[in-house]
This record gives sequence, C-alpha cells and structure tokens, in this order.
Amino acid sequence: MPWKLLLRNVLRHPIRALLTSGSVAVAVFLMCVLDAAYRGLDTAVAEASKTRLWVQSAVSLFVDLPESYQTKIESVPGVKDVVRFQWFGGIYQDPSNFFAQFGVDPAKWAATYPEVQLVEGTLSDWEKGRTNCIIGKDLANRFGWRVGDRVPLIGTIFARVDGSVWDFTIAGIYESKSVNVDQGTMFFHFEYLRETLEQGAVQGPSGVGVYLTSLQPGQDASAVIANIEQMFENGPQRVRATTEAEFQRQFVTMLGSVPTLLLSIGGGVLFAIFFAVLNTVLMAARERTRDVGILKALGFGNGTIGGLLLVEAVLLCAIGGAFGAGLALAGNRGLWSVFNNFIPGFSIHGAVALSGLLLSIAIGLLAGALPALRMRSIAPVTALRMEA
Amino acid sequence: MAVAIEIRSVSKTYHRGGEALRVLDELDLQMDASTFYALMGPSGSGKTTLLNLVGGLDHADSGQVVVGDIDLTDLDGSGLARWRAEHCGFVFQGFNLLPVLSARENVELPLLLSPLSKRQRREQAERALELVGLQDRMDHKPRELSGGQEQRVAIARAIATDPAVILADEPTGDLDRTTADAVLELLQRLNRELQKTILMVTHDPQAASYADKVIHLDKGKLGRIDDNRHAAKGN
Repeated sequence: MPWKLLLRNVLRHPIRALLTSGSVAVAVFLMCVLDAAYRGLDTAVAEASKTRLWVQSAVSLFVDLPESYQTKIESVPGVKDVVRFQWFGGIYQDPSNFFAQFGVDPAKWAATYPEVQLVEGTLSDWEKGRTNCIIGKDLANRFGWRVGDRVPLIGTIFARVDGSVWDFTIAGIYESKSVNVDQGTMFFHFEYLRETLEQGAVQGPSGVGVYLTSLQPGQDASAVIANIEQMFENGPQRVRATTEAEFQRQFVTMLGSVPTLLLSIGGGVLFAIFFAVLNTVLMAARERTRDVGILKALGFGNGTIGGLLLVEAVLLCAIGGAFGAGLALAGNRGLWSVFNNFIPGFSIHGAVALSGLLLSIAIGLLAGALPALRMRSIAPVTALRMEA
Repeated sequence: MAVAIEIRSVSKTYHRGGEALRVLDELDLQMDASTFYALMGPSGSGKTTLLNLVGGLDHADSGQVVVGDIDLTDLDGSGLARWRAEHCGFVFQGFNLLPVLSARENVELPLLLSPLSKRQRREQAERALELVGLQDRMDHKPRELSGGQEQRVAIARAIATDPAVILADEPTGDLDRTTADAVLELLQRLNRELQKTILMVTHDPQAASYADKVIHLDKGKLGRIDDNRHAAKGN
C-alpha cells in the first residue's frame, strides 16, 4: 500500500477533508449526547426507590390535595411515613436561573431519603429556623452559595401580596448517592409556606401537591397503593398512588415521544452523514480516475487501488469519529452541568463513545466500498482516457 | 538481433453505440530488442491500441502478443499488472504524474512494487532523475515543473525499474519543438546507452526521425517499415 500517496490524497483538499471529518465528528458527538439524555431519563426511572410511593390528585399532578389527607394516608396499613411535597416555582433574580424548590417536612423528608446526606450543616440546623432551607451541592456550586447565605426568591405560584420576595437562609448542603435525587434542588419548610398562606401575606393555592409516602419494610407496594386509592375513592378528591419508578416514568411520559425523537434524530443524522461521506468519496474517486489509470499502468493491483480509496474513506470518518467521541467524553462534566437539572442521570458513556467511533468506521467502510469497487474494476485504458 | 516484441495475427475490435470498429486486423509484426521504434499512421489506424496491447493495458480479441519470452495473452489482469511492474515503462502524452507527489516520489512509485528497501528505492529514483538531468528538481511537485521537466520525470519513472521495454504514447504531443527535441534526444540516449527497446507512437515525422525504425500502420494493418539507420547511411 503506497501510504504516502494515501495520506497526501487525504490532504489533497484540506477543507473538504476537514468538513467531512467535522461532519462525522458532530454526528458522533450528537449521538453520544442524545444517548446520554435518553439513558439519563431511563436511569431516573431505573434507580427509583421501591419503598417510596407518590400520592397525587387523580385529576392531575397540578391539582393540590387537601392537607387532611396526610393523617389519613398515615393510617393505611404498611405506611411508615408521609411527607408533604409542594412545588414552589420561585425565580432567583431571573427566570434563566431556574432551579427546583420544594416545600417539605424536613425530618420526615430526611428519614425518607437515606441516600441523601447533609455534607454541610445538620438536620437540626435546618429545623431551627422557619425560613431555613437546604440546597444540593450542584446548586451551591452553580451560584457559589454557602451555608448562612440568604436566597431571595420571587414567588410566581405563591406571590407575596406586598410584592416583596421570599427570603430563605441556607442551613445545609446535601449530596445524593443516587441519580434519582438530583443535587440541584432547594428544600424548605412546608410549614413556612402554609403559615404565610394562612396569614394572607401570600396568594396561591392551599393544600399539598404530592404526598411522598414511605413503606414499612417488607410491605407489598401494590396492596398499599390499592388501599390508599380505595380510601379516597369517594372524594372529596380522588387520588392516584404510584411507585416512585412509575412517578418518574410519568415525567418521562410528559415529555411525550421525546426519547424516541432523540433516537430518531441521532439515527437520521448518521444516515445523512453517510451520504455526505459517500458523496465526498465519490467525488474523490472521480477526480482521481486518471491517477488510478496511472497506478494500474505502473503495475499496482486492483486490491491496492480499491484499498487506497477505502482506507481514505475510513481514515476520514475514523478521525472525525474519534474527535467527536473524544470531545463528548472530555466535555462530559460540562454537558452534565447543563443537562443535570432536567436529566438527573445524564452521563456520556465510554461504551457509547466507542460505538460512535466504530460506527464512523463502518460509515467509512460503507461509503468507501462503492467507489473502491468501481475503481477496482475500471480498465486501465479507460481510466487513463479520463480527463484529469 | 533478438526479437523483443512479437505480434502474431492480432485483432482488436471496439464496439461503440452498436457499431463494431475493427482497429487491428490480423496484424503480424516483429520488433527487435534494443531498437527505437516509432509507430505512425493516421488517426484510427490502431497505433495506441497496439501500444496498449504491447504494454498489457488491454487484451487482444485474438492472436498473440509476446514480449520477451512472455505471451501476454496468457496472463489475467493481476498477472498483467505484475508483468507491467517488472518489464514495462510507460511515458504518456499528458505526462501523467501524480500531482500530490514530488518528482522523486513519482519516480519511486513503481519501485514500491519491487523488493527494494526504502533506502534503495530512494537511491534508484535519484539515479533515474539524475539520468534525465533533474537532480536539482527532485523535491518539486509536478505543478512546479515545466512541461519538458514533467515529461523527463515521467521518463525517469519509466526507467526506474530498469524495464526492457519503454512504451511512449505521443510523448512530445504537449511540448514545444525545442523541449520536444530534448525529450526525444533523451529517449534516443536511453535506447543507445541503456539498450532499451522503445516503441513510441507519434504523429510527428520529425519525432519519428529520432527512431531507428518507423512502423506505419493503416486501418489496423501493417503498411511499411522504414529504417532510419539505412536512410541515414544512404545520406
């Protein structure tokens, strides 16, 4: 194989080579990111706890349940604890600074989430102050917040009547061992929200968004679910109880066919790239038909001549594929910080990056095969007659 | 004198648009070793076809093409490729150098098919380029050379593997008179000093005058063979 000629041919049109490799790199990078997003959504479901249930309105997640339900649910056999969960939806300075905030019962919440550890501050620190809150480690890093810092939030669902902001004080920072609980959320006292509502200082819906229900060890989740749903069958609000996995899946389903769309986009991009590479190699083959004639006249075999084009196509794609896969792996941390807020399990997988590289080589092989076969079979005199 | 090339009752027909065009018609011809032949004739007389058959670039429909002691009609595509690599050098009208390679690399190209080491290949390519007077242009790309220099690189490439036969298809067709004469003198020198058998297709009587013998083809058949050496002696 005349390697020097092969390399010179690859660089014969540097911009074209760069664009071809670049398009493969983008495709592989995109494939890695889409896969990470798809897997991330799936991981959140897969890692969901089997001992936690979520009880919400049977009508919709956006309809609140009466506060009286807490004690009723606690009375259902097999239930260990019930935590009130309320979506707050506040804005920190600007809507682009979005992060999730929930009003919860601190002690019960902490007991229900053994996978969550406070790495700064303690539970009692949190419980001490009515306006105290805890935040995830990623959220602390994102805004440079520390324990003791004050976080002013503009209420949207729960807007203050006088137009002032809600003030929260950071009492602790948590870490999570499971991707199911992200580290970008704020948890504060549900009671602070309830009391403020009762005082009339705030406008907003009363009640509880969701009841997080932990099960006693060895309890059959389906039996407890059936009992809870049966308890409220005649109102005043019917409920829907689900396992945490089912609850997470509900969010994924809310995205509609996004996961399918992600995979379709990835597949479509790779398919398009295949034709782009094929076009490049066909153009290269056409330009070099006379060169092929010269090589044949000099005595180079058909295998070597076909191999030149095939290896060139593979090389262009492999370089692009390696770059795209490498970029995705190297940028994993940065990408994670962008996507982690709404896809907790987001992570570029090494195996997928490797698959991307192998796929780019396969694209090179497929795209190079047709022109290589054509150049193999062309007669020397025919090739030599072609215009340069 | 030994016979270098023997054409035995060779026919070749091309089919274009349903029409059969017989370019070589039962041609019989013998060419001596170490002789410089010019092949002349009107367009379509079969000159280039004959050159392609002798160079193993094309197959005859019938008859035999024997070069040295090898019957090319017995060889398949890969056999012909191997034979070309070892026994035959080509010089084309359009120079046909690979634009991405330097003069030295172009000359070294056919040597990649030989068992020579990298260093030996390089030395042999440099010797060939020195022989054609391009020792100071070895690292130049074809686009950096004049037409005459490009053709001399092509000649160096043709002789790099030390083949017995050099086939040249209108080697001076794209050159001005002075440059053409220099190239023809070079071919003549290769024939006289290195004993190469040269078969050169040309339309140009002045180019043909550099050859020892001029073969005239007409409608695929042998017309006559002029011996320039006898003519020169007669003058």
